Amino acid sequence: MTKPLISVKDLTVRFRTEEGLVTAVENVSLDIAPGEVLGLVGESGSGKSVTAKALMRLNAGNTRYADESRITLNLDDQGVEVLALKRDRDMRIVRGGAISMIFQEPMASFAPAITIGDQMVEQLLIHSSMTRVEAKELSIEMLARVGIPEPARRFNQYSFEFSGGMRQRAMIAMALSTRPKLLIADEPTTALDVTIQAQVIALMKDLVAEFGMAILFITHDLGVIAQTADRVAVMYLGRIIETGPVRQVIRDPHHPYTRGLLNALPKLEDLDSELTPVPGDIPSPLDRPSGCVFNTRCPVMFGEPCLAEIPQLMQDETGRMAACHLVARNRGAKT
Amino acid sequence: MAVITLLTVSLIVFTLMEMVPGTCAERYLAFKNTQGSQISIDDIKAEEKRLGLDRPFFVRWGSWVGDVSLKGEFGDSCILRLNINQLLADKFWISLGICLAALILSYLIAIPVGIFSASSNSPATNNSLRFVSYLGLALPNFLLALIIMLASTVIFGDSLTGLFSKEFRDAAWSWARFRDFLSRAWLPIFILGWSATAFALQTVRALMLDEIGKLYVTAASARGVTGAKLLWRYPARHALGPVINSLGFDLNRIFNELPIVALILTLTEAGALLIESLARSNDQQLAGAIIFLLTASIVALNFVTDILLALLDPRVRRGLMG
Repeated sequence: MTKPLISVKDLTVRFRTEEGLVTAVENVSLDIAPGEVLGLVGESGSGKSVTAKALMRLNAGNTRYADESRITLNLDDQGVEVLALKRDRDMRIVRGGAISMIFQEPMASFAPAITIGDQMVEQLLIHSSMTRVEAKELSIEMLARVGIPEPARRFNQYSFEFSGGMRQRAMIAMALSTRPKLLIADEPTTALDVTIQAQVIALMKDLVAEFGMAILFITHDLGVIAQTADRVAVMYLGRIIETGPVRQVIRDPHHPYTRGLLNALPKLEDLDSELTPVPGDIPSPLDRPSGCVFNTRCPVMFGEPCLAEIPQLMQDETGRMAACHLVARNRGAKT
Repeated sequence: MAVITLLTVSLIVFTLMEMVPGTCAERYLAFKNTQGSQISIDDIKAEEKRLGLDRPFFVRWGSWVGDVSLKGEFGDSCILRLNINQLLADKFWISLGICLAALILSYLIAIPVGIFSASSNSPATNNSLRFVSYLGLALPNFLLALIIMLASTVIFGDSLTGLFSKEFRDAAWSWARFRDFLSRAWLPIFILGWSATAFALQTVRALMLDEIGKLYVTAASARGVTGAKLLWRYPARHALGPVINSLGFDLNRIFNELPIVALILTLTEAGALLIESLARSNDQQLAGAIIFLLTASIVALNFVTDILLALLDPRVRRGLMG
């Protein structure tokens, strides 16, 4: 097996707040292979954005990473220990260099008083030895590549002069202009309407093939994940509770939470069937349940081990993993 | 736009001047009366005719606006019977200059300090800044003026009052007179700037904190923008728009505080004239002239800030140019 592009080991992220240390992410481990699309799914507050931001060290000043946490970025010529980076200048390799990020709100992610072009050129000048003229040429080329008409004129415009879908395309153009190895897409289509959403997803798929980069695709929308990702990791309250190839997980979810998420999706073939949301609310991170983090909402909770013991991710013969005591017990009974 | 505003302002000011009970003629003759001369109704009628007060309201407004805008001529003061332009002479411009200097001083301090404090995480820096600026907001100007006067009288034997030394009081403008002016004007500028700075500091800091939390700053940092560039090019630049917007308002506030400070420091050359003309002698012509000049200055400043805003913010620029 080839080395993963990025490897996250035992990532635990806590925020220091006035109410004390709040755990946002706990013991998360995941690998992304070069060129692979990994979907990261979960409700708001599940820690998916915090995990993604950790890869770029974008979490706020009150963030504490646990000592045993490791994030290793394997580039052709070097390995980078992301959490060991100290100075802002050194972090550039994961901020726009080998990793780029696009955000949920394309309007809010461009500075309103600086032209789109200036922001693109600025980034290229930081990450390459290009001249200003070369950077401008490449930027216009990238705008054209993502399907923005009249790119030379658009280059000199401001984000408020772009439509919503156009802004997200410009954002993608900007993110890809430095040819990153990994693109983090944080709910990139949530704020767009469905037709634009489909166009943007198609564009991203094209570009992945063309640029050969990996994507970490964050969303709460399992439908979008099914279209885009190779593998999926489901997060709940800061922990990964199930991971595996996307089709297998969607066809046959092992973890009761994943099953709940899938049941909550509307089904076009049976519009009369009632939607069954996952019962209850996600608990406050200030008040994490002991034992399995899902035990407050789990329909198949069966007592002692669920309340006392944190279930570990267990791999089955096909390489899929789920962290559930029930799954572990059933499997034990089978063998 | 600025012209229309000024016309409206002139109408309001003129109406206010007219609404003061009694006409200029009556008031002057009544004033004469207290000096011992006898007056009759006919005297008043004759005086009104001489001043053109028998003409209709809008005609008088028109001629007043015409004189003010075309000739820069405010006419005569009611009571003092002196030409207002001569009476005001440099006084208005000195007052305005002091207020503008206080305004500039306050923002020269508030902008960098506010930006720095918003971007700093150190609680010690933030708390001490907050303490100083609350002190600035809470301590009244006149108290500060009195404290400084007391201290300087005790220590230097000079009360620092007035805007000019004796030998320059009535001299023509010269370099020496200007230097003398500066050596004394710093005190009212400092006192007026003191609370204005505290106020501006709070504004700048709040606006900066607002901008720093926005997604485009995170996005810029995700592209590898760092350090001073990440601070000044992104949040600071975008926070400046609303700051500039508040300049006109601030000038007005400082000008309102000027008379009190001027009274304590006995700056006869400055805003005290306004109080005197309004309260003591009921001189509507003079008060109207001062109010009109002040409003005109604020309209002019707003015009300047609009241009600055258009330079700074492309949304405003595109809005203006369509």
